[in-house]
Amino acid sequence: MTSITLNNNDYKKEIKQKTAKPLLWIGLMSIVMFFAGLTSAVIVSKGTAVWETIHIPFAFAISTVFILLSSLTFYLAERSIKNNELAKAKVFVLSTLVLGLLFTVTQYLAWTDLYTNGVVWAGSESSAAGSYFYALTALHLLHLLGGLISLLVVSFKSIKEKYNAENLLGVQLSSTYWHFLTALWVYLYLFLIFIA
Amino acid sequence: MSATHHHHEEQDFLFKYIFSQDHKMISKQFLITGFLMGFIGMVMSTLFRLQLGFPGESFWIIDFLLGSWAENGVMAPDKYLALVTMHGTIMVFFLLTAGLSGTFSNLLIPLQIGARDMASGFLNMLSYWFFFVSSVIMLISLGVEGGAASAGWTIYPPLSALPQAIPGSGLGMTLWLISMAIFIASSLLGSLNYIVTILNLRTKGMTMTRMPLTIWAFLVTAILGVLSFPVLLSAALLLIFDRSFGTSFYLSDIYIGGQVLEHSGGSPILFEHLFWFLGHPEVYIVLLPALGITSEIVSTMSRKPIFGYRAMITSILAIAFLSVIVWGHHMFVTGMNPFLGAVFTFTTLLIAIPSAVKVFNYLTTLWKGNIIFSPAMLFSVGLVSTFISGGVTGLILGDSALDINVHDTYFVVGHFHIVMGLSAVFGMYAGVYHWFPKMFGKMMNNTIGYFHFWITIVTTYGIFFPMHFLGLAGVPRRYYTNSEFPLFDNMIDINEFITWCAIIAAFGQLLFAFNFLYSIFRGPKSSKNPWRANSLEWTTPVEHIHGNWPGEIPEVHRWPYDYSKVDENDNYVSGEDFIPQVVPLGPNEKDGGH
Amino acid sequence: MVALVAIVAVLLIVISAVQTLKIAELWAINKGKVIYEVTEKQNKTQALLMLVFLVAYFAFFAWQVWKWGDLMLPVSASEHGVVTDRLLNITYAFIIPVFVITHIFLFWFAFKYAYNPNRKAAFFSHSNKLELLWTIVPSIALTVLILFGLSSWNEIMTPVDSEKEHVLIEVQAQQFSWNARYAGTDGKLGRAGVEFIEGVNAMGIDIEDKNAKDDKVVRGEIHLPVGVPVQFVFRSIDVIHSAYMPHFRAQMNCVPGVKTQFNFVPTITTEEMRKITNNEEFNYVLLCNKICGAAHYNMQMDIIVESKEDYEKWLAEQKQFAEN
Repeated sequence: MTSITLNNNDYKKEIKQKTAKPLLWIGLMSIVMFFAGLTSAVIVSKGTAVWETIHIPFAFAISTVFILLSSLTFYLAERSIKNNELAKAKVFVLSTLVLGLLFTVTQYLAWTDLYTNGVVWAGSESSAAGSYFYALTALHLLHLLGGLISLLVVSFKSIKEKYNAENLLGVQLSSTYWHFLTALWVYLYLFLIFIA
Repeated sequence: MSATHHHHEEQDFLFKYIFSQDHKMISKQFLITGFLMGFIGMVMSTLFRLQLGFPGESFWIIDFLLGSWAENGVMAPDKYLALVTMHGTIMVFFLLTAGLSGTFSNLLIPLQIGARDMASGFLNMLSYWFFFVSSVIMLISLGVEGGAASAGWTIYPPLSALPQAIPGSGLGMTLWLISMAIFIASSLLGSLNYIVTILNLRTKGMTMTRMPLTIWAFLVTAILGVLSFPVLLSAALLLIFDRSFGTSFYLSDIYIGGQVLEHSGGSPILFEHLFWFLGHPEVYIVLLPALGITSEIVSTMSRKPIFGYRAMITSILAIAFLSVIVWGHHMFVTGMNPFLGAVFTFTTLLIAIPSAVKVFNYLTTLWKGNIIFSPAMLFSVGLVSTFISGGVTGLILGDSALDINVHDTYFVVGHFHIVMGLSAVFGMYAGVYHWFPKMFGKMMNNTIGYFHFWITIVTTYGIFFPMHFLGLAGVPRRYYTNSEFPLFDNMIDINEFITWCAIIAAFGQLLFAFNFLYSIFRGPKSSKNPWRANSLEWTTPVEHIHGNWPGEIPEVHRWPYDYSKVDENDNYVSGEDFIPQVVPLGPNEKDGGH
Repeated sequence: MVALVAIVAVLLIVISAVQTLKIAELWAINKGKVIYEVTEKQNKTQALLMLVFLVAYFAFFAWQVWKWGDLMLPVSASEHGVVTDRLLNITYAFIIPVFVITHIFLFWFAFKYAYNPNRKAAFFSHSNKLELLWTIVPSIALTVLILFGLSSWNEIMTPVDSEKEHVLIEVQAQQFSWNARYAGTDGKLGRAGVEFIEGVNAMGIDIEDKNAKDDKVVRGEIHLPVGVPVQFVFRSIDVIHSAYMPHFRAQMNCVPGVKTQFNFVPTITTEEMRKITNNEEFNYVLLCNKICGAAHYNMQMDIIVESKEDYEKWLAEQKQFAEN
């Protein structure tokens, strides 16, 4: 009887294998709705108030390149683990981490650029358009911080060679989330260029 | 030796009752926290009913409970609004979202689909504790300087954004927002778990069309939650930014307290759009679980299959789909584009169709049944009644041309309290009476249950039905008193009548509280399947074990509504008037309602 | 001390209730046949109560209509209100029968099909015909309501044609009072904004704007000519308010930063309405119908509807903005 009670580790693992990915996907759906709410707020605001056009800092273009590259390296890392090429995987995982950090830095640079051009976040000098600019990018970055933390865990574990072709659920979860953030960023970037 | 033993016991207690990851325990935690919050919400409503029924009169109880909010036993006008706001918030979110959905989704999903627990027990535990923390913060906000949030449960800015406009929009509002943000996290974690568990952990043979309607209702509710709560979070975040950092998402052209504010370019209407994009689905997040519970109970206690199982599923899905495209009907008089108003009228009235289908299916289920009136069944019948009584007035409110004159009057208050409030509360009571044996292994007392039901239905109709008349006389909601308008002088009789009903209703609920607590400790032991029901939860042992079934999880062979199934000779197929889902199909037997 | 006595009393009540219940349960153990945890006697009583409730519920409904029916708003004092009142009556004619019939079914079935050991429940699980029937019938009824509703909605929401004779009034809401101004002889409202609010200029009218000079700010009450379309423009300077004029079946929110509008044609003068309502003190009111702060319950302005001549006389007495 013990083989089928909940306290059995095999059973727990089986449930985790079965449900971790769907849990993540539905979680992602709620994040999509969160940003859908915010971006539709932009559209509604644009329709009702005076709308200031904001020059998009070049640094955002650079961060787009970084995050796209990071998605590529993460994909390669996952593939290397699948093929049990663990040394290669380490390199790819670490470069993903570095690219992710570079993305963060370029976001910061973009904000300083905005600020020096007179686009402020709040107060009497602010406009709804500018505030949305900061809010959208900052909230994306907040979600990316979660991605970075999971990436740190993945890096640590792959350095210790904890993953292999049979055991890579953690990597898969982390990379799904990361690719999602990339897609989200690309969406926001295009949204900011064309709509806002 | 004894020290380690003691330590072990302490740990056991901690993990069994406090940080439990067992869905059955979490469900009880949700139930009890939800009931406590609901009780507080009910007391608040009784207090402001005293003010409305007897405006300006001094009451010892108001003085005693409200203290500095009520000088000489008469509540201050802005504290009246604080009470109204907190009553709405607590009832809608804490009792009827977390308390109802949290309790029964947690209890029934694993038990009825044949799973040992939720997909993630840990997330499930977090979901409860987030709920607990948000409840505590919400209660703390009652005691802070300036009082609790007072801008109505819909917290429309600028009123909710400016402490100059009403004292409750200071620290009280900040805590409200923090509490709701945590609440949303709790609700999302719960919903994630419910969806994934239902989709991935069904036992062998439990196809989607063999699931009890409760599970369908919980599934659709959870999906609605995942789609709409994040939008409320985004609305709340922008409000937090406006309040605390000086952005202008919602604020523009404001002159208050003798000065012009710096905010410009924002739109208060934007908040209403974002809020009601959650707000309307929220109505169904509250209602659908109650309808699911009722479907199950009406069928079981009529000893008859639910009529139109597939039509019931279709109408749940249709209601859910329509509910996300009707939010504009809360905003007909905000100056919205009249064409948009027309679209929202159209989608809103469409909801009447699946709702009507559900009602007629309930009626047909009762027809030619063999009905057992347990308290749960009484509350289910009551739910069908409230769902009709409150639903039909929706046709008036959903029609933009008619809404102009009844918008924000007591007509609305009567409508939504009956169709959403009472229906959901009745569904919750029905669920507790029905699954009490499953939760606590004891039976509740029927006689007290009967008294509880009849007192409740009579008095609550006595509260909310006359409100339609107030509304048609043009009395606005959220008025501290109607005595400032000669126009409303004759309404005092109605208000007094309502208040008396509210007082009796509140005392009636004490019967339930007593029955509930008494039965947990001293109630008679229940048998394994007291209602002789088909669904899987009644195949588990009365004593709770982690993992639900001591042996293998049983396999499912049929839909859950084989009640009173007879063969060609008019004999019961199984010899009894029910056939549990685990019984294999006979050689000539067809599954489901075919 | 009072609290202590109360606590002791409650405790005593609870303890005696627990004991009574325990005894009652022991006593009930061998009493009557138990079916599914309910005794047959209990079941019969509850079934009967279902029927009693049905009758009582309808009686309660009728009693309310009888007792409170004449407290309702009097006949509509605006042109479009007559149409919406008719629509309301049509909707009643649809929903009240639905309400009555479904309730009769509900409680009658509950009574009639209460448990009987000699009978089997029918295994009747679906019928495409029936389900189709109650999808299609409500759909048809709804189509009628929707079509009628939308045509009146569109009519109500169309602003008054600016070429036609009409009165243009701006109503401004603030915590907790109403201000109003008439457009003056040029038929145009001058520019206004919160930045111009100062001293007596509570409505924030721009003195520089030439359209503003002949605007007339009025206090305490507004007058409307009977039979002439009135175009309202609404503003708010602090929080959201809602301008509700129940007798005219008119309501529109006042939103800071946004101008909203509503129009109607008054058809019954105040004097006539006093006769209709049999109340010498009757006055039309404008009240706030969106929670706006502590004194939300007392934010009102009187509306006087009078003949065109009286209205023009009154308006001539009001000062132009430039005269202040």
